[in-house]
Amino acid sequence: MEVLALVYRNLRARPVRSLLTLLGIVVATASMVLFLSFGEGLRRALGAELSRVGPAILVVPEGAEAFSPGYPELRPETLEAIRRVAPSLGIVQVIPTAVFARGGFDPSSSFVFQGLPAGVTARDLYPNLRLAKGSMDPGDWGAVVGGGVARRNNLDLGKTLRLSPQVTLRVVGVLERSGGLADNFIYVPLPVIHALLNTGNYSSILVAIEPGRRAEEVARALEERVSGIDAQTTGDVMRFAERAVRISDLVRFGISLVALVVGGLLVANTVMMSVYERIREFGLMRALGAKRRFIFGLVLLEALVLGLAGGLLGLLLGQAASGLVNWFTLREVGLALSAVTLRLASFALLVAVVLGLAAGFLPARTASRIRVVEALGRV
Amino acid sequence: MLEAVGLCKRYYQGELDVVAVDHFTYAFPPGLTAIVGPSGSGKTTLLNLLAGFDVPTEGEVRLDGRVFSTLSEDERAEVRLRHMGFVFQQWNLIPTLTALENVAFPLMLAGHSLKERTERAQALLAAVGLERRAKHLPSRLSGGEQQRVAIARALALDPPVLFADEPTGNLDSASGARVVELLLAQAQAGRTVILVTHDLELSRKADRILHLRDGRLMRVETPSAGLTRAAQSL
Repeated sequence: MEVLALVYRNLRARPVRSLLTLLGIVVATASMVLFLSFGEGLRRALGAELSRVGPAILVVPEGAEAFSPGYPELRPETLEAIRRVAPSLGIVQVIPTAVFARGGFDPSSSFVFQGLPAGVTARDLYPNLRLAKGSMDPGDWGAVVGGGVARRNNLDLGKTLRLSPQVTLRVVGVLERSGGLADNFIYVPLPVIHALLNTGNYSSILVAIEPGRRAEEVARALEERVSGIDAQTTGDVMRFAERAVRISDLVRFGISLVALVVGGLLVANTVMMSVYERIREFGLMRALGAKRRFIFGLVLLEALVLGLAGGLLGLLLGQAASGLVNWFTLREVGLALSAVTLRLASFALLVAVVLGLAAGFLPARTASRIRVVEALGRV
Repeated sequence: MLEAVGLCKRYYQGELDVVAVDHFTYAFPPGLTAIVGPSGSGKTTLLNLLAGFDVPTEGEVRLDGRVFSTLSEDERAEVRLRHMGFVFQQWNLIPTLTALENVAFPLMLAGHSLKERTERAQALLAAVGLERRAKHLPSRLSGGEQQRVAIARALALDPPVLFADEPTGNLDSASGARVVELLLAQAQAGRTVILVTHDLELSRKADRILHLRDGRLMRVETPSAGLTRAAQSL
């Protein structure tokens, strides 16, 4: 009781200083939570996205990264080679696609056009897409727009999309919003993309397999039998993405470490000042019979309380900031990019506690080594 | 019994060798012993050595026959906790704890339960007439009340030895008299009470007076008040 009372009342005795220190840790923890929540959000969004993709295997040019289509490099011969081996590998559908992106600085002026071959609709790629109005099939010169892009840019049936001086498409279908990345695409006929990019190549080829077949085995067999391709399953993509996200986690943690170190120094400074102000008090405790480890523990507990309280409040603030980011990204691109998971929350609290302990160590050591005669002015 | 044998404390200030306590030998019997002397006579240094706040350059301090002055800092702290109580002139109480919590502090260090220490602290505060001030912080107490809380705290673990260093130094005469009365009661109860003071009138109430000069024990005096009490106790 007395120990906790000592810690609590000492922090309360200097309210402004304690509050400012607390604020330092709150901001440091909140920024770390927000930074790392992007990694967690990406993992979650990616998992959700992959579960929405129909075909089990994505074929990209050898050495290309998953989910970064780039310039179409897969040649028509490669498509033919895949079609030739398809029956023997249990492949039931082969869908070549080409992607054309027109970028802007904000989502409302960025457009991604995905070219689909005749007879293939967006639902063959993303089975959870639903038609809001019009037709699912873009025909020869039509475009089917995703729910997100339609809402952002007020695209409705009959509106025209001018892709180049020679190519103008008319909106023939509008999809409902599904809450995924597919909401941001505009689905157009494949020849249109080929004409725009002046090529007959493909960005990727989606491969659907018959039920009961193992995607991993089919992908490896495909790579063996068709040269110049990488056949990626959702598992491959997840593993690759996990590596990338982990690297970016480290980078973001490195950045937030700066804030954490500053927060730690604030705690160390506050506790050290408090130790110097309370030298007589510690001397008195030692005179009354308190051992060194008692004083050490007392000062460390003070730093720990600051760290833990700051960590908890920082976690709440970080969660609020993450919610704000998600509100914005959901509105703009239909994706929740930030997530404060239990794993992240536990990690943030652990970091805050370690921060408190590390910051309190030196002041605690100083306080525990005070000589009674000097502390009480009895020299 | 607390004993000092050939106790010396030297400080080296540059090339100057300052002897603060010079071969002090004395066995403190139960009762009130006053240590008096002019400023700089080594009273405070002697108390520091006797209480184990500091270690002697030569000689030793024994408590119940066991050498106490050569123990480690933490071991000396443990001896202080279990066997000694302290009342200082100032900085006596922990400012962020209430009177009750201050009295309960040594009990907490000794590992007593919350219930035990609360009950004991309340009883001790009642014994010094401060039961109504239990929940007050030291800043809300007068100087005399603070000293009485310190006496209550000093008695928390029922120690055989009580040190009082100028306990009435900052008090008005009425408050000082109350504090002295409490200390005398402890001496009469059989505790060894060591009172450091330069107030000669106060020292006359002791059972014996040790006169200190330049760190040396010059003489031991038995004042009449002490003799009277000794006669009364026979």
